[in-house]
Amino acid sequence: MRRTRAASLAATVAAAALVLAACGGGGGGGSQDASEGGVFADCATSPNTCNSAPADQLQQGGTVTVASEKNIDNWNVISSEGNVDWTGMATKPLVPYTFYTAPDLKSTMNTDLLASADVTSDSPFTVTYKIKPEAVWNDGTPIAADDFVLNWKWQNGRDCPECETAGNGGYDLVTSLVGSDGGKTVTATFSKPYTDWQSLFGSSAPLYPAHIGAKQGDLNTPAGVKAAFDYFGSTPPNWSGGPFQVQNWQNNVALTLVPNPKWYGATKPKLDQLVFRIITDATQEPLALQNNEVQVLFPQPQVDLVSQLQQIPNVSQFQNQGLTWEHFDFNLQNKFLADKALRQALFTAVNRQEIIDKTVGQFNKDIKPLNNHMFIPQQDGYQDNIAATGQGSGDVEKAKKILTDAGYTGVGTALVAPDGQPVPALRMRYTTGNAVRQNECELFAGYAKQLGVNIDISTTDSLGDTTSSGDYDVIVFGWIQSPYPFNGAQQLWLSNSGSNYGKYQNPAMDQLINEAAASTDPADATAKLNQADEMLSADAYVLPLYQKPTLAAVQNNIGNVRNNSSLDGISYNTSEWGIKTSS
Amino acid sequence: MLAFAVRRILISIPILLLASFIVFALGVSSGNPLAPLLEKNPPAPPNVIAAETVRLHLDQPLIPRYFSWLAGLFHGDFGPSVVSTMNIGHELGARFWVTIRLIALAMVIALVLAVVVGVLSAVKQYTVTDYTTTFLGFLFLAMPSFWLAILLKQGGIEFNKAVDAQVIYTIGATSIPPPPGTGAQIVDVLGHMVLPTIALALISYASWSRFTRASMLEVMNSDYVRLARSKGLSRRTVMVKHALRTALIPLTTVTALDIASIIGGAVVTETVFQWKGMGDFLLTAIRTEDVYAASSWLLLTGVIVVMFNLIADLLYGVLDPRIRYA
Amino acid sequence: MREVAPTPETTPVPAPAAGQASVEREFTVAERSQAQLVLRRFLQHRAAMISLVVLIMVVLLAYVGGLLWHYQAGDITPDNSQPPSLDHPFGTDAVGKDQFAEVLRGTRISLQVAVSVAVFATVVGTIWGSLAGFFGGRTDSLLMRLADLILTLPLIAVAAMLAHNFGGTWYLIAVVIAVLYAPYVSRVSRGVVLSLREKEYIEAARALGATNTRIIVRHLVPNALGSILVNLTILVALAILLETALSYLGFGVQTPDTSLGLLVSQAQTALTTRPWLFYFPGLFIIVIALTINFIGDGLRDALDPQQRKVRQ
Repeated sequence: MRRTRAASLAATVAAAALVLAACGGGGGGGSQDASEGGVFADCATSPNTCNSAPADQLQQGGTVTVASEKNIDNWNVISSEGNVDWTGMATKPLVPYTFYTAPDLKSTMNTDLLASADVTSDSPFTVTYKIKPEAVWNDGTPIAADDFVLNWKWQNGRDCPECETAGNGGYDLVTSLVGSDGGKTVTATFSKPYTDWQSLFGSSAPLYPAHIGAKQGDLNTPAGVKAAFDYFGSTPPNWSGGPFQVQNWQNNVALTLVPNPKWYGATKPKLDQLVFRIITDATQEPLALQNNEVQVLFPQPQVDLVSQLQQIPNVSQFQNQGLTWEHFDFNLQNKFLADKALRQALFTAVNRQEIIDKTVGQFNKDIKPLNNHMFIPQQDGYQDNIAATGQGSGDVEKAKKILTDAGYTGVGTALVAPDGQPVPALRMRYTTGNAVRQNECELFAGYAKQLGVNIDISTTDSLGDTTSSGDYDVIVFGWIQSPYPFNGAQQLWLSNSGSNYGKYQNPAMDQLINEAAASTDPADATAKLNQADEMLSADAYVLPLYQKPTLAAVQNNIGNVRNNSSLDGISYNTSEWGIKTSS
Repeated sequence: MLAFAVRRILISIPILLLASFIVFALGVSSGNPLAPLLEKNPPAPPNVIAAETVRLHLDQPLIPRYFSWLAGLFHGDFGPSVVSTMNIGHELGARFWVTIRLIALAMVIALVLAVVVGVLSAVKQYTVTDYTTTFLGFLFLAMPSFWLAILLKQGGIEFNKAVDAQVIYTIGATSIPPPPGTGAQIVDVLGHMVLPTIALALISYASWSRFTRASMLEVMNSDYVRLARSKGLSRRTVMVKHALRTALIPLTTVTALDIASIIGGAVVTETVFQWKGMGDFLLTAIRTEDVYAASSWLLLTGVIVVMFNLIADLLYGVLDPRIRYA
Repeated sequence: MREVAPTPETTPVPAPAAGQASVEREFTVAERSQAQLVLRRFLQHRAAMISLVVLIMVVLLAYVGGLLWHYQAGDITPDNSQPPSLDHPFGTDAVGKDQFAEVLRGTRISLQVAVSVAVFATVVGTIWGSLAGFFGGRTDSLLMRLADLILTLPLIAVAAMLAHNFGGTWYLIAVVIAVLYAPYVSRVSRGVVLSLREKEYIEAARALGATNTRIIVRHLVPNALGSILVNLTILVALAILLETALSYLGFGVQTPDTSLGLLVSQAQTALTTRPWLFYFPGLFIIVIALTINFIGDGLRDALDPQQRKVRQ
């Protein structure tokens, strides 16, 4: 008798616990401010100006906290160790730079620092920067040519071979960098034309204070340059040439910034404090936002994250098409995949729209297949070079016909190459734990099966090792598109490029890419790059799938925060951020 | 007793050394710490790779690497981290205190809970109370710790909503920047500690309360308790003065011996609540193939566990006069 | 009441204690009746019996139900992220995989991991501890220092490290976990052997000229079987939970393999948005671990009726 009561009581308690938990789960914020939109409603049409709040509608003071997904291990974003997305975003309010990438993904001059930056001669190719006279570091020292020179010495490969830079291109082409006009005019002379000259000294390789670097060693010697390079990497900055300066750095916990009193820019910061709070597990971010422990998120979107954010009242989110794009790659060192017909057939059988619907399409209805290897749709020059090839269409009949025409047998059952050898199972790899890529692989295996090709899916813990050693037949991963496409194309596609993992060789395409990167005429360069892309596409080496979206989420009372999909990220305009006086 | 302690410590040294060697060897064989550099777009230049190889001693064979690390430990050098700007010793020291704060409070809560629940269910054996607490204890034993922690977090947010104030926090150990005033800061710290300590305490208390219950029952059935009762002492006096005191002795040892598993539990709790303690340090070290960091972590944890085991043994001797150290 | 009631309706129980110190044949008889006694006590332990029935149902569901169900794990259906319905009782995930089929597959693999761990760790640990306890002296201290070596470190940390090196597939995770639990078992079995070693009937057997092997096989192992069995059940529960924690930290079973731990850790973001992904695999973990703990409890009570001492 007592037993039964005890048992039923225990059961009731357990049930109650679960109901409680379920209730805890259900209590979202309802549908007000739901979905995309809210303060970001016009971001799709005007990415650079949405969520705008003029200065007089922002209160003076207040704290805004951004969830940063990585710790800052190295403060020098030019170094290969410091070249980390979140380090770039957290230090953006501290460093001066020539050009940055706006939310519309256009390269834009930093008018706080520069009065002008122009190509002043085509032969020799010369760029002249005019620095604003009022631009100073926070100790009062002018920002000047010396700062450009230090940056250049780090990266040109000659003055500091020991400097472990992230490998930004173009600096080796600068043969001389001369200051005049009290250091406020900087003239760069190039050994040959460089189409992407705006990337130099830009926001991904910004300026560091040479006068502080000089305290570490003689900047006219490689050792001194290297000492400065390491100093800026290991020391949390107390210097600043941007709207904010560091108040406090707690390793692994948070970076606290306060306004730089010597800030020379047009827009004075409204906030008292800007905090980058380090939350390394992105799954914890929405709850922190809901609990108002952070106000700004810039995470990788994911289906639950997006719908979780939708449930939070007074929070807006917006997804933008980003610079990262996913793709299937073949390894041409596999002798079967060396045959173009097999590659074409496999890519033709791939249904990219279905892949999108089953993965990223779940939280973003706007994602479409990407149809160019060289440009993304936001960049001038994007054109569809893939649809015409039939690749990515999921047209299995067409794929089968390609194989039959090329002399393959066993199409749709067990494929046999024209020379009579059966096509073995192909090894397809993806990064361990990446569920989206797992799904992409499974879907690819399904398409290949329809042609009679078996796919063995396996994971890799180290994408870098796997790709550089060529330990795959098919692989799926993402490239980050450079905002400067011409230099980017050289890095990714040239026959001898280190990033050409599948060893695609095409001298004609190499020549077009090199010509495009060294052109003085942007229209000509763009046309040549598209010609190169047509060759690349026709050869079915890499199939672009889609652009990965980026996601920004913000409490509705924070003004001027925008989703910038470029590497400049969420913090490209922190001097404008502020708390709205009324909403 | 001192001799006993010294001997125990001496015995543990070779164990710790062997453990650290195995861990070191595991770490060395595990993967390429430079792989992330290769994954970058554009990949890091060859001179970077070469310099990093030398800095991390990747060009040296295992045995000399291990011994030079050991030698370095004696003058406070824990070896180079994959993160070139990080001093492993310094970082571990800072994180040690974060974790200790979490563990200490959680253990206190868990112990109190374990004793109360254990005694209650022993005294009221085979009643509704006993069955309910037993079931709840088993339920917590059966629950994945992060599953519970995620539910607690959601509960914390609902609580904030219900009281319409920011009382409970879900991320980190304090607010950044901390609120002005000492009082506000204490409230702030407590608000951050509530959920992680409860989460850690709930998964730890259950086995201890089962243990308390069992040893209570054992003591209550013992001859001397029966004798005390038959002398005419009140049930309450017997329970508190004789039974409980005796029953608590083994619990102290069990608690001390469980320190390794509590540290293990804290690894998960720290992840869910984003406390930057030792657990987070270890996970990062493993993920980034940071051999020296992971080995240093294990050595430090090993020392802590050995110390606690020693304390447990000594404490047992103090509490139970029948034990003599030979 | 789950007190050991003197069985009313059956024949009188043979006295086991009397037989034990005696010669071997009588001992064998006594042992069997002791087993009967244990079984009867276990059958009367209602919580354990209910748990056993529930657990058997879960196992049947996972192994037989999975075969009969109209979706197989890995099937991609057109229904993406559907809440539970008749067609998909546990809903679907983003790609349209039927979660009922996925959870059943996860249950199978989690059970496989857990049972492999329990069996492997028990066999290794028992041999380890018995050898140490039986031979004593240098063998003992060598074997036990080795156990100390592993026990010195937090299990999950070492497991994460090992799994990072070798892990991914379920059987490797199982081996990693088993290796780390074996020293626990070895301590328990050593304790049991030590206490049994001094018992009169062992001395009697020795006096009668029995070999070491014979004493271990005929006397020690059968008598230690009770505690070993209890430990084995608890190991199953511990292994499931450890695998879950490892999965959460990213060091457990990896896709394309699966487990309940992996399912629930992948669904941790889904708590408020697609709760079916979060609760169902979690509930299965809890049900399995809970029932096994109750079964272990029942076994312990049945084996040791005087006191219900909880062993760690």
